[in-house]
Amino acid sequence: MITLAVFIFFAVLAVVAALLVVVQKNAMHSVLYLAFTVLATAGVFFALQAEYLGAIQILVYGGGIVVLYIFVIIIVNLKEIVPERRGLVPKLFLVGVPVLLCAEVVTLVMRTGFPSAPSGPEGSGFREMAEMLFASYLLPFEAASILLLAVLIGAIVVARRRHIDDPD
Amino acid sequence: MIPIEAVIGFGLIIFTIGLAGVLVRKNLVIMLMSLELLLNGVNIILAGLGRHLNSPRGSIFALFVIINAVSEAAVGFALVLAYFRHRKSYDTDSLNDLKG
Repeated sequence: MITLAVFIFFAVLAVVAALLVVVQKNAMHSVLYLAFTVLATAGVFFALQAEYLGAIQILVYGGGIVVLYIFVIIIVNLKEIVPERRGLVPKLFLVGVPVLLCAEVVTLVMRTGFPSAPSGPEGSGFREMAEMLFASYLLPFEAASILLLAVLIGAIVVARRRHIDDPD
Repeated sequence: MIPIEAVIGFGLIIFTIGLAGVLVRKNLVIMLMSLELLLNGVNIILAGLGRHLNSPRGSIFALFVIINAVSEAAVGFALVLAYFRHRKSYDTDSLNDLKG
């Protein structure tokens, strides 16, 4: 019961903050609301007893990605506010399509009913997760490290200047 | 015990907000933020299903999604910086060099 209350609390916080991320005019305010959303989502993960995910969420998103966003906004000096030139009707259409998609999936889930799965023998604690990650999913794990190396090199190549003495 | 339908609905709402943000906004940085929201919604559903099925696979897949989100953010920022250096703007309307 208390878990459900915690879940609902963090879920409402996350939804409100996510809405504010999308509607803000100023990008820096959006980043702060994104940090809020990320931390509330971490609370949801803790309520779902996915403690590892919650910790990773706080470390990687809250500590890494949000700070990266802030630095990028400072570097590119995102002062100018890009005007939204779309009319009301295209905007409503672009909002309506995702809402329709969401309604469709919700209807499907509700009508088919979710099967109450038999409690598997695996468990979802740290120990089971680590054993499965380093046994069954070792190859994707190593592939992820190669992906990160490729991203590191690619980001440096894309973002560097062509010549050191090039003023632009 | 948290009902699985509530978790899936919550994840879907976050996903929907993110998708609407990617479609509606024209600021490149805010579009990248909305992409993070999309991936967050997927992670919530994965964590809820892992809890529901009593299996560690939900957390493992969500971990891989987080790795992909970090990679996407890094490459996206590199592209934004390169584009800004080139064009001095973030408006996606001026990104029409390849328009036929």
